Amino acid sequence: MGGPSPSTEGTNIDGESPRGDPTIETDEATITDDAELERTLGLTGGLAIGIGTMIGAGIFVFPGLAAGQAGPAAAGSFAIGAVVALLVALPASELATAMPKSGGGYYFISRALGALAGAVVGLSLWFGLVFATAFYLVGFGYYAVDTLAELGVTVGEGPVIPVALLFGAGFTVLNVTGTENAAKLQNGIVALLLSILAVFLTYGGLDAVGLVGEPAPPERFAPFGAMPVLTTAALVFTSYLGFAQVATVAGEMRDPGRNLPLAMVGSVVVVGLLYVVTIFVATSAFGSETLAGFGETAMVEVGRHYLGAAGAVAIVFGGLLATMSSANASVLSTSRAIYAVSRDALLPRRASHINLRYGTPHVALGMAGGPILVLTATGQVELLAEVASFLHLVMYGLICVALIALRRNEPAWYDPDFRVPGYPVVPVLGAITSFAMIGFMQPASQIVGVGIMLVTAGWYAYYARDVRLRGEL
Amino acid sequence: MTRVLVPLAILEGESLSPGLTTLLQSVDVTVLGYHVLPEQTPPDQARLQYEERATAALEDLVATFEATGGSADHRLVFTHDRDQTIERVAAETSADAYAITGASGQIDRILVSLTGDVAVDRNVSFVTSLVGDREIGVTLFLATDDASREASAELLDAAAERLSERGIDVETELAVDAPALETLLDTAVDHDAIVVGERAPSLRSLVLGGEAERIAAESIAPVLVVRNVDGDRPADDS
Repeated sequence: MGGPSPSTEGTNIDGESPRGDPTIETDEATITDDAELERTLGLTGGLAIGIGTMIGAGIFVFPGLAAGQAGPAAAGSFAIGAVVALLVALPASELATAMPKSGGGYYFISRALGALAGAVVGLSLWFGLVFATAFYLVGFGYYAVDTLAELGVTVGEGPVIPVALLFGAGFTVLNVTGTENAAKLQNGIVALLLSILAVFLTYGGLDAVGLVGEPAPPERFAPFGAMPVLTTAALVFTSYLGFAQVATVAGEMRDPGRNLPLAMVGSVVVVGLLYVVTIFVATSAFGSETLAGFGETAMVEVGRHYLGAAGAVAIVFGGLLATMSSANASVLSTSRAIYAVSRDALLPRRASHINLRYGTPHVALGMAGGPILVLTATGQVELLAEVASFLHLVMYGLICVALIALRRNEPAWYDPDFRVPGYPVVPVLGAITSFAMIGFMQPASQIVGVGIMLVTAGWYAYYARDVRLRGEL
Repeated sequence: MTRVLVPLAILEGESLSPGLTTLLQSVDVTVLGYHVLPEQTPPDQARLQYEERATAALEDLVATFEATGGSADHRLVFTHDRDQTIERVAAETSADAYAITGASGQIDRILVSLTGDVAVDRNVSFVTSLVGDREIGVTLFLATDDASREASAELLDAAAERLSERGIDVETELAVDAPALETLLDTAVDHDAIVVGERAPSLRSLVLGGEAERIAAESIAPVLVVRNVDGDRPADDS
């Protein structure tokens, strides 16, 4: 690994230039002219970031909504999402091993496709993560209210949004003042969640195929036809946002040539399998109409169905942990996204300032936390989820395009440790399916998504038109 | 040439005591300026903002070493994990020891602990090149139990012999059946710096903090930890 990086030039309206110092990447550190950046994350840490970001929304918030729209075939919707995620994770892995730097998808796209594409993706990713975090927080609110219900305090759905707001503010403050052992805590939460789900799914799975318990009423697999399966896939794709977050810490990962692909592909495979089995078990427990009636916390009833009160408590607890872990991971990713674009002079440099007292990027965290709270207050679960997916899917599609662009005319610095198998089929399919997924969303989400992209393009034209980021192609 | 790594939390104003600077003038020094960041901050983000300030501070320190006639260079690392950074840079520079800075003025006498499973040869030859032909006395310290009293005494004498051959003023101290760390710290009162051997991390050292760190914290004197080069720690994957 190593060699010179893609070049950058130009200045933004404030006269700041992209800071792209020449670096040498080793397995243990990134070495710049005067300083070294230690790589401290291992494979476990990478997997925990990927799984921890993804695992919240999908399993705990969507089963009811998805089953209502697609019937038992909702499992197919989740499988479609997993395949799309995998088709993007492979090209993203190759790019990440070629450019193991902070910034992830934004970095690859800006270096391969230029500053305009980079600005749109980078700034859209900020908003995409903000929408995703708001979605996780609302999910957390529903689970928090259900926790009270399990404890015998029935409060209705009124406090869902206030609770979500409170915790959103809490995460932001926590991240500004420093979370000493956040990563260890995150690893623990992920391990605990996987254990809860493993027990639950093993028992539920045995029941679902009729080995134990009561036989479930038979139901048509796809009662509403194929179209709802696809639109549901677009809705639940939010469950897979997270694997590319692994690439945003590429600069901090030891032995990135090995660990990055393993962490990205591995977390998609693990999470995809869990989702498909969970939906299968959930739709086997109840008819999809009943399941839809339970709403955002349908999984609690599924838990109660199979394992009684203990099952319900375990799922409520798991749901709290999972939505919390997703929300926290996304707040962090948002501040990293802001850092990546401000380093390249697409946002004012002060957006990435760190305060010496806590060592945290307080400006960027504020730029994440503020909008998150505004969006959380809307409480629009499906819209939040779809806009988040929309903005991420644009990035995922462009990651595949970036790979194709780089491979067609390989620059000298491009030397990935991992090469995507099945080139060019995999990246081409990845790009097509990512963009196609957007087509199956609700018009409202598409309008909001396109609007955000136009605004980001406008910002680029106004603020940073002269900035050049493309590598030498 | 013997090389000592001096890790300093450079942006937190950690600095070198004059005594340690003088003590190290006989060896090559690498000043490792590090800055530890919480997990939510990418190291590169801190580098953008603080690299210049840290580099300037490091260059001042190197100049201080060179003013005393020593030889030094510096490295700057932004990290999430201080111990991993020290370990990596020590291995890359093939440092023989690393220093935990403490407070000290003039260094007249240093305490060298040979207790436990440490490489005595490496410690002794490190001390030899550290002291050189300067007027610095050495006390060799060894804590042992009653059963291996004689073997320990022999080991201590052999080591003392090697040092006095080089014209170094040596004393020995054998602590039998006494609590090793406490006795070491009691003895350290009359000394200006301490040399210990690095040991494999034990559960105890994980719980209580590294033994060398404890000695440094409780004696306040500078501590030089002679690296255990043979016992390479297996790379963990957490």
